[in-house]
Amino acid sequence: MMQQEEKLRVSTEQLEGGLGLVAAAGYINNEGGQAIADAVNELVASGCRTILIDLEGTRIINSIGISILLEILDRLMESGGTMAFCNLTPTIARTFEIMGLVQYARIFPDRAAALAALGRDG
Amino acid sequence: MEVALTLPLVPDVELIAARAVQVMGRSLGMTDGELESVTVATVEACLNAMEHGGQTCFFVRVNTHREDGGPSLEVEIEDHGVGFDPQAPPRTSPSRILGCVAKRGWGLTLIRELMDEVDVRSRPGKTVVRMVKHVGGA
Repeated sequence: MMQQEEKLRVSTEQLEGGLGLVAAAGYINNEGGQAIADAVNELVASGCRTILIDLEGTRIINSIGISILLEILDRLMESGGTMAFCNLTPTIARTFEIMGLVQYARIFPDRAAALAALGRDG
Repeated sequence: MEVALTLPLVPDVELIAARAVQVMGRSLGMTDGELESVTVATVEACLNAMEHGGQTCFFVRVNTHREDGGPSLEVEIEDHGVGFDPQAPPRTSPSRILGCVAKRGWGLTLIRELMDEVDVRSRPGKTVVRMVKHVGGA
């Protein structure tokens, strides 16, 4: 049913300064959101306190997936961490705005801008 | 031009409707941003139909229009479930995220924000969400 390009692909990277990168491309539904949650949990368990989620390649997202992102953000903030996103399409940025995600997470236009700011600010 | 789909309640079936609106929207000359808005709205309407429809299938109709006012894409999602109150106030923002995540119920809010026209008619046994996106429109 789901085409290969729509199945969410997730990769992680642990960077310097407690920064964890999650790259997610594909459809963020309940399954995709959970895959991102698992990746974030893994990075946090490894000591990351700032999580950057790069959504380049993600064009479709639904409210269930965003709700899971909100839950991830909730847990991260409770443990003193922060979350940021980059490479959002205008529609995904709009849905994040409507659902309140942008009030608690930083948004950057691309990965380079995010890494520069997060590396500088922590 | 119309596409009419009868979709079973199986995981990810909403992506078939999404693909239909993308193909039809592209034929009208929609921008990537317009296509993405219609796609997300359609996915949300399908999820509502799948969650509240209560039957074994739901229905999607996608129509292109080329009136004098400019081209537009019309999407209708119909289910034969228990229905709901379309006048229920939308959630415009979660007042408190920490410890109080509003997990569900965002579908109609997103649809209304992303589409140009939205009409929801719901009664027990039949719900139709009709939404329109104008090409190059506000």
